[in-house]
Amino acid sequence: MPGVARSALVVGLIYIFLVGVSSLEAGIKIMGADTQERLFSAVTNPIAGLAVGILGTVLVQSSSASTSVIVGLVASGALGVDQAVPMVMGANIGTTVTNTLVSLGHVRQSNEFRRAFAAATVHDFFNVLSVAIFLPVELAFGTISSIAKWATERLVGTSGTEWKSPVKAWVKEPVGWLADFWGQVGAAGNLQGTLMVATGLAIILLALTFITKNMRSLVADRVERSVNAVLGKGGGAVAMLLGLVITVAVQSSSITTSILIPLCAAGVLSLRNAFPVTLGANVGTTITALLASLAAASPNSLIVALTHTTFNILGILAIYVLPFLRNLPILGAEALANVAVKQRSWAVAYVLVAFIILPLTGVALLR
Amino acid sequence: MVLSFFRKGSTGLDHVVAKSVAMLGDARHSFDLATLALLTGTDPDIVSADIRETDQRINRAEQELRSELVVHVSVQGGSDIGSVLGLTLLLKKIERIGDQAKNILDLAENGISLAGATNIATLSEDRQIASALFGEAAELLGEADPDDAAIDDFTKRALTIVAAHQAEINQFMTSDRPGREVVPLAIYYRYLKRIIANLVGIVRTASEPIPLMDYLDDGATDTDD
Repeated sequence: MPGVARSALVVGLIYIFLVGVSSLEAGIKIMGADTQERLFSAVTNPIAGLAVGILGTVLVQSSSASTSVIVGLVASGALGVDQAVPMVMGANIGTTVTNTLVSLGHVRQSNEFRRAFAAATVHDFFNVLSVAIFLPVELAFGTISSIAKWATERLVGTSGTEWKSPVKAWVKEPVGWLADFWGQVGAAGNLQGTLMVATGLAIILLALTFITKNMRSLVADRVERSVNAVLGKGGGAVAMLLGLVITVAVQSSSITTSILIPLCAAGVLSLRNAFPVTLGANVGTTITALLASLAAASPNSLIVALTHTTFNILGILAIYVLPFLRNLPILGAEALANVAVKQRSWAVAYVLVAFIILPLTGVALLR
Repeated sequence: MVLSFFRKGSTGLDHVVAKSVAMLGDARHSFDLATLALLTGTDPDIVSADIRETDQRINRAEQELRSELVVHVSVQGGSDIGSVLGLTLLLKKIERIGDQAKNILDLAENGISLAGATNIATLSEDRQIASALFGEAAELLGEADPDDAAIDDFTKRALTIVAAHQAEINQFMTSDRPGREVVPLAIYYRYLKRIIANLVGIVRTASEPIPLMDYLDDGATDTDD
């Protein structure tokens, strides 16, 4: 497909994605307050919220998708900012499962696997460390959401009021068509709301999948050229910026970080050079939730999206800028990779425990 | 460096091919200087630093381009895997030519000079022919879609030269002349033969299926012997 046509297709897909977010919001609103209360009471505990964020992201293999859904839920009023923030942090952790799974593809060759697994899990260690520092800070002082609130007020006005988003107006009509369609089919009340939510979720996932696929085709040459330019030559800030740019372009941190795994496995990129690229990807991936918040009527959705961005920037400032803390994710990833190379089953066990069993236990015990 | 994301420029395999052509130019430069020292009696010290520096440049380019090939596969997927494997072999062949040029310099640095050899006219002519083959190979390598007939013509001529060099080597091995005369000649022709065989491999990379690379006659003849 010619580049211009593919670009036009991506613009169309972004519009469809925004329709999906708005449809999700509308569906939740159609449901009664009681239903909303029953559905989301489970995540009032922040650790449970964190676990839900991890599980949801592992399920869809995309933090862009899961955070966009969270933004939609916040926009509908079903989820408060306080509940959403731990979920967004969980999404950050959950998204790292993709490159960890990619690294398992190198399991047959010890040295290759050691490098690949370390490159994948350095992202995990950074995100867990970041949550370990900032979730308690957020719960105690609300620091991150306060920064996001401050930025939101500067951008769209006071929190709690309806924000006249022009994007919201653009997507209003197709969302109305969806509601009418389910109404004509005979669905009403909770059923109609559920069907709208399901349709919204399906649209978000499909649109994001195709946006990512098409953007990857569109920018592959540029990605290749810039990775070659930066490989081992640039400092941490340059690598971080590259991770951010690529992720914003392809709308997926998983793609950016997964590209790094074979490079590290082959020894083309060192763990220390790959690490800042993953941090840039962490920030870059927040663009999708920011985009989703444009289709929402409530400023709270923008607060949550900006919280995601702020959290990732603060994580870099706190962990990467301080030399002592900067080495922790690297040392942790190297140690885990050494263990995994000696006993390959530990690598699989790590994925199962970190991304499925622990979050499931968290939800089961703390809901 | 991040700005390269937003700029236009040669990408992927095109870039690797363009750099390979430059590497081949460097290899030719080394070959010309090394043979100059060996065949004309030029002081090897005059060309030594240049040849070793050029060899380092070729080695660095090979390492960088190998990395670029891995990046290409990581970013673009495996659809170009055949070309990537071919280019990996091609880069190694160019690097080997650089080493062989250095080996010719080693002969001169060890005090060998063929300037006074009885067949110096033939040696000089063979040197010119080999040097010209570098240029032809670079031209064919740089073409986006080289003509099969041109590749076959190059291969035919180069392999004829390789066979002639092998015949010379065989003659030197059974010659009654003193070893100090024929051994350097045999070694030099051996290097010359290897260099030309590598040039054949470089040119045929674009047209040969991966399993048959460096083989002719459906795999029966090893051009890399």
